[in-house]
Amino acid sequence: MDHEYDVVLVGSGIAGAVIAKTLTQAGKRVLLLEAGLAAGMALSPEPSYANYQRYLETFYSKANKATNGPYPDLPDAQSPDVLQIEAKTPYDEGYLVQNGPLPFASDCLRSPGGTTLHWLGNVPRMLPNDFQMKTLYGQGVDWPISYDDLKPWYEMAEYEIGVSGDVAAQVGPDMDRSNYGDDYVFPMKEIPQSYQDQVWMKNTENLSVSLYGKDYNVTCVSMPQGRNSIPNPAYRKTGIFWNDETKRLELAGDEPGKYEVVGAIWDQNTGNRCEGNASCVPICPVQAKYNALKTLKKSDHSKLDIATQAVVSKLLVNDTTGKLDGIEYKVYANPASPIYTTKVAKGKIYVLAAGALENAKILLSSNAANSSDQVGRNLMDHLVMLMWGLFPEKVYPYRGPGCTTYLPTFRDGEFRKDFAAWISPLDNWGWSWPTFAPGSDVSNGLAAGKFGKALRDSLADTVTRQALLHFECEQAPDPNNRITVSPQYTDLLGNYRPVIQYDASDYMRKSFEAAKKVGDQIFAANGIEDFTDYNPSDADYVTWKNRGYTFWGAGHIVGTHRMGSSPADSVVKPTQQTWDHDNLYLVGCGNMPTLGTSNPTLTMTALTFMAAEAILKQLEA
Amino acid sequence: MSQHYQAPAPRRRQQLFRPDEPLHGCGLITSLDSLRSHLQTAIEIEHSTIPTYLTTLYTINPITNAFAYQTIQSVVMEEMLHMTLAANIMNAIGGHPAVNTNDFIPEYPTYLPHSDDAFLVPLQKFCKDTVDVFLKIEKPAHKFVPPEFNNYKTIGQFYKAVKYGLRYWDHVTPGGIFTGDKSLQVTCEQYYGGGGKLTAVYSLSDAVLAINEIVGQGEGMDGTIEDPDQVFFGEDVEYAHYYKFNEIRHERRYRPEDTANCPPTGRRVHVDWDAAINMHPNPKMKDYPVGSPLYNKTLDFNQSYMRLLTCIHDAFNGQPDLLMKAVPLMYDLKYKALDLLNLPLGNGEMAGPSFEYVAI
Repeated sequence: MDHEYDVVLVGSGIAGAVIAKTLTQAGKRVLLLEAGLAAGMALSPEPSYANYQRYLETFYSKANKATNGPYPDLPDAQSPDVLQIEAKTPYDEGYLVQNGPLPFASDCLRSPGGTTLHWLGNVPRMLPNDFQMKTLYGQGVDWPISYDDLKPWYEMAEYEIGVSGDVAAQVGPDMDRSNYGDDYVFPMKEIPQSYQDQVWMKNTENLSVSLYGKDYNVTCVSMPQGRNSIPNPAYRKTGIFWNDETKRLELAGDEPGKYEVVGAIWDQNTGNRCEGNASCVPICPVQAKYNALKTLKKSDHSKLDIATQAVVSKLLVNDTTGKLDGIEYKVYANPASPIYTTKVAKGKIYVLAAGALENAKILLSSNAANSSDQVGRNLMDHLVMLMWGLFPEKVYPYRGPGCTTYLPTFRDGEFRKDFAAWISPLDNWGWSWPTFAPGSDVSNGLAAGKFGKALRDSLADTVTRQALLHFECEQAPDPNNRITVSPQYTDLLGNYRPVIQYDASDYMRKSFEAAKKVGDQIFAANGIEDFTDYNPSDADYVTWKNRGYTFWGAGHIVGTHRMGSSPADSVVKPTQQTWDHDNLYLVGCGNMPTLGTSNPTLTMTALTFMAAEAILKQLEA
Repeated sequence: MSQHYQAPAPRRRQQLFRPDEPLHGCGLITSLDSLRSHLQTAIEIEHSTIPTYLTTLYTINPITNAFAYQTIQSVVMEEMLHMTLAANIMNAIGGHPAVNTNDFIPEYPTYLPHSDDAFLVPLQKFCKDTVDVFLKIEKPAHKFVPPEFNNYKTIGQFYKAVKYGLRYWDHVTPGGIFTGDKSLQVTCEQYYGGGGKLTAVYSLSDAVLAINEIVGQGEGMDGTIEDPDQVFFGEDVEYAHYYKFNEIRHERRYRPEDTANCPPTGRRVHVDWDAAINMHPNPKMKDYPVGSPLYNKTLDFNQSYMRLLTCIHDAFNGQPDLLMKAVPLMYDLKYKALDLLNLPLGNGEMAGPSFEYVAI
């Protein structure tokens, strides 16, 4: 690859796929470097089908159904693994070097398609107030752009992902029809809310709960999702195009009833509707759930070169011009071997789309884009507090996708001055997250001497009544929650591993207390017997006012190279060009200054379309 | 090792009507009732191939025989589309599709309903003989063969007769014959992912489009190897069933310049003829002692199949939304078929699905 590309792009997750598709469709020549295996990049029917069936077989054969379980574990391009998160720091036996004091609890996937292979697919938008946390609540920072600035890009992201949902139902604090506009609909109709959700809603919708002397009205809202449903005949958009005249990226089309459901990458006729397999995380068997390979496949492949098994090691910064001269990467043939060849890719513009951990790691390894000293800092996640119990009646979890309903009540309010806001999805996966049910129910039954009919009866009685409610608390940016690199910690190819320093602040711990008080009232209203058990041996066990709480990671790895309005305290401009190098752009969740209470993929995808337009403008200038 | 990929260009889809033959004053089908009964036959013909294709499909491994698996699967999904299209035409002219009666499922091995009885259609494992039968089922009609609603040689002949009958009776009936209750139509809201777009039928031109889709997907249009989605819906190039099966048989893909009467000359594909489950052909419940595990499992399979047919029947008769509930029943059926295919009979063969009518 000795010739020069318009753009050299690193990573084929959703951010990379959006860049690859948008730029090549606009006629630009792109080289995409992907660290994962060549087999996973297959986009034509037979090899992509065969590869995906291997993922499925791996998933079915593993006792533990953790997020990265179905996908190859590559010593040359390791992914973090939630199974390696332990209640001790420092800890460096996994991919992440955990310096603590608490271990960082989320993972991502370094593979073609990125973490969208195992994501859940919840895609609520952020709230307008989320963009002004400093001004309104004195917490964190304001974004350099507003909700209204992002709104047209949200529509593009919702088209690209293929969102199923009911706009009219999106009502809650700081959220109503005006967030979307009068006539707006999602491309597809909402996924039906599960039977379990209907049971929850009977006693939860309009429940009044009291918290620190104030009453709140709890409501239940259908969750917008990146998985296929019935096309909405009122949806009018048909595609995203670069308009060469206006130099704008446009969501085009004004004709109802034309939305085309995007099926599996191996067969357009597979996965046209969610089939309710309930294994969304870690893998949708039919690809009714969106994944980034669907976007990548729509690229103009005559303009796109893809190099797989190509792990970026360093950005070559020219100290004189302040620009990048190239990207150095290591190509391996065998993912478990330390043997590699080093290559350099050259383009007019470089785009890092490798995820918040890897982007920061690459920048720190290259001493690039860091005049603000913000690279690697402000690492954030949703801190997930779980509550689990048994319903008095059978509610039959595992029918439908992982989440079809959420409680918006504590997503925004004056309380954000005092403790973190949260979104509460109703989970459709029994106790699988906290206790590894239903496998653990079987083992426990066997340990109690049950077998045969007695075992089946006890499973039929308890597994069907398992309730899980969770609270995704918005982690505020903290410069000391950070990734660094050190020559002491490298991987098999000699690339750095992320060294993480991480903690949960009082602002977060107080939100656990608040969420538990709310959860207790919801459980009581539903007659749910509480089996929640936070144990000091849990990996992320914290205390607040002498009570213990455990949080889990949400897989929402955000921050590390934030966007801002000043080069003094941010890494990228609102265009997502780095302040320091005008031919280097960063895309992905790392750009988000704060997290809000939304699953971040939708917002990040909207930002990435903004970046794609900025890159095209720069290339055409 | 870095590798480069070339994926197909994105698909675009647009719906075009195609000029059809001029109206023939052909009265081979002599009454509206007779036309309806022929549409019932059409539904039965389309259905009769589904157990055959499904059984063979379930005897091979989706990974090691990926090409054959995906090919047969795509064909069987299109047969489900054809069955639904035929039901839509039936409803459009005021008939009542019946798919849950005790004689709806043929007794395998069977001749194609109302055919010239030239060959038997079995339930058997994947092998060259089986693919040869598939080729016979989907054999294209000559462009100029006469329409034939009984004792037809090819399914295309049969549909030609139905098409002429629809034209004729719509022409001679005051107010036309497309006066059925519109709410009975299954639309692409309920039917999806079945290889081609489902047409709701409200008029003669809708019905002709539907029949051209059925015949074209099976046999190709006018001596081409491509199925008519190219012409009608602009989908990715996809070959008609006959040619898809011929690719398996010859272990080669067609090239775009190949012609219909020659074998494919494109790249080789891997087909592992020996890697099929050795299923006993045409299993029957009566092969097993009543109450034995094999009997019970086969009965259970057949009950699942009847539940599925009943669901489809109700969907075709006023509750089209029920079609969405058929999806889990189809999975249930597959898992039960795979269960049977994993049960040895003790003679080196395995049990298998029998697709027999049972009361539920």
